[in-house]
Amino acid sequence: MEIPFTQADWNAVIPVAIVAVTALVVLLADLVALESVERYVSIGVGLAGCAAAAVFAAAQFGHDYNAFFGSFMTGGFTTVFEEIVLVAAAGSLILYGSIGPRARVGGTTALLLWSTCGAMLMAGAANLMMIFLGLELLSLGLYCLCGLVDRKSARESALKYLILSSTASGFMLFGMALLFGASGSVLLSDLVNPILANDPLFVMGACMFFIGLAFKLSLVPFHTWTPDVYEGAPLPVTAYMSVATKAATIAVLARFAYAALPSPIADRLLLPVWILAGLSMIAGNVGMLAQHDLKRLIAYSGIAQVGYILAALAGGTPLGLRYAIYYLTAYAFMNLGAFAVAAALSTESEEGSRLSNYRGLGRRRPLLAAAMTFFLLAMAGLPPTAGFLGKILILATAVGSGFTWLAALLIVGTAISLYAYAKVIRAMYERGEHRTHDARPFVPLAWASAAVCLLAILLMTFYPLTPSNVLPLVK
Amino acid sequence: MTVPIGDYVGLASVLFFIGVAGVLLRRNPLIMLMSIELMFNAANLLFVAFSRVWAANAGHVFAFLVITVAAAEAAIGLAIVVTVFRAEKNVDVDEVRSLRG
Repeated sequence: MEIPFTQADWNAVIPVAIVAVTALVVLLADLVALESVERYVSIGVGLAGCAAAAVFAAAQFGHDYNAFFGSFMTGGFTTVFEEIVLVAAAGSLILYGSIGPRARVGGTTALLLWSTCGAMLMAGAANLMMIFLGLELLSLGLYCLCGLVDRKSARESALKYLILSSTASGFMLFGMALLFGASGSVLLSDLVNPILANDPLFVMGACMFFIGLAFKLSLVPFHTWTPDVYEGAPLPVTAYMSVATKAATIAVLARFAYAALPSPIADRLLLPVWILAGLSMIAGNVGMLAQHDLKRLIAYSGIAQVGYILAALAGGTPLGLRYAIYYLTAYAFMNLGAFAVAAALSTESEEGSRLSNYRGLGRRRPLLAAAMTFFLLAMAGLPPTAGFLGKILILATAVGSGFTWLAALLIVGTAISLYAYAKVIRAMYERGEHRTHDARPFVPLAWASAAVCLLAILLMTFYPLTPSNVLPLVK
Repeated sequence: MTVPIGDYVGLASVLFFIGVAGVLLRRNPLIMLMSIELMFNAANLLFVAFSRVWAANAGHVFAFLVITVAAAEAAIGLAIVVTVFRAEKNVDVDEVRSLRG
């Protein structure tokens, strides 16, 4: 019997395969490397794998191909999301190398890479099976990563994430089964059938599918796990989780909303998602006001930011998708940057994420305080950052496509969030004596990644000057 | 006599909501993991039943995929529960609450 796949099929998943094989190499290297260099080998090999995968993924930009009978699509859309996920993985690896525990680096790196594979599969997935596989691969890796430090809160975060996220997967899977029942196919492209529009199985299935997605995106009211899990997980893992899971899930949602819903029903089915997005903008930003930990602050901020990104998608216009991708990229860099600064402030025993550590930081560590201020301004969406430009673009597209109420909620949410971000910035530049925080004097890798993120956000403000087709459309 | 597809959908829905209720109401992580397995298997039942209705093999393949994934999930889930239990000597989720959303 002949195998029906061609070379082109395998080429489509080369970036994913590279990451997966790198994880195996890391595990092997971990066995043979000397104990003194073990960490550097693991992190180094992991980063090299990410870089190689990024190069191969970039080579697929613009080459649309439906691999494996339409299960996995390559092209601009997939490439962009794969790159965002790879950046998150690389950033997290760097932070792990600079502040993570000395032990078990090989296993952690491998888990992170496999989890990245899952996110990359989700980026290109065009059938329900691939979406489920990618999602589970991403989540299973993350459950372990959350609990990998010896700390009560980490164990708790792993357990909480495991139970809640698996329940959401259950909802999604049941939704997929109903979608399959309605259409008789697992391909997203077969779901775009107007006959399905009024099939109760299809409507129920799509709703349960969206509940699963909303949980993974931590939209209100499925967001309560986010701050707890983020707080308990090790800082590099939180940095990865806050970017990669959201990027991968937004890729699935965008593919589903743009390509897989029969047109007469799409507006009606997706309306609840946009309403949840609007609620998330308000609830996320209000939740941010009372937080005392940077990870929790970023968790709530992320809830609101996902709402902004969905507001760009709401109109279903090609331009909206471009702006959503633009904002998502900016979001990735500002989150990674803020976590890099927190990593630079970490001590041997404590991660530098408690907000009380930031009091008077402007005097003690002026550079780090300036970088953190920049990232917080970017999250708040103030000029001269890409966050500002991104919000303007989203506002324009939301109003242009008739979702004025989402634009209004975005502005209200931003106004609330300004207060929360300003509180942290003011604390950093407070006068007076403060508890001196015995952070390591200089963490080169964390500083470097903060600098890279800062530069990336600044460069992204030149987006209006780039050719208009630089960000791809979903196919 | 063939069983109509509606019965399969009904049974799967009942199983699924027993699973959901188990996750929501029970406080023992082991029972919660079992309830999650029940949710997954309710979906499996649907996949296999619809696969028969449509004479499409995708559903059968999906069911096997889900069985594999559920096994991996159970392995990791049990490992995490054991880790928590070793440290806390307690597996009631109400006691595991130093993080409060």
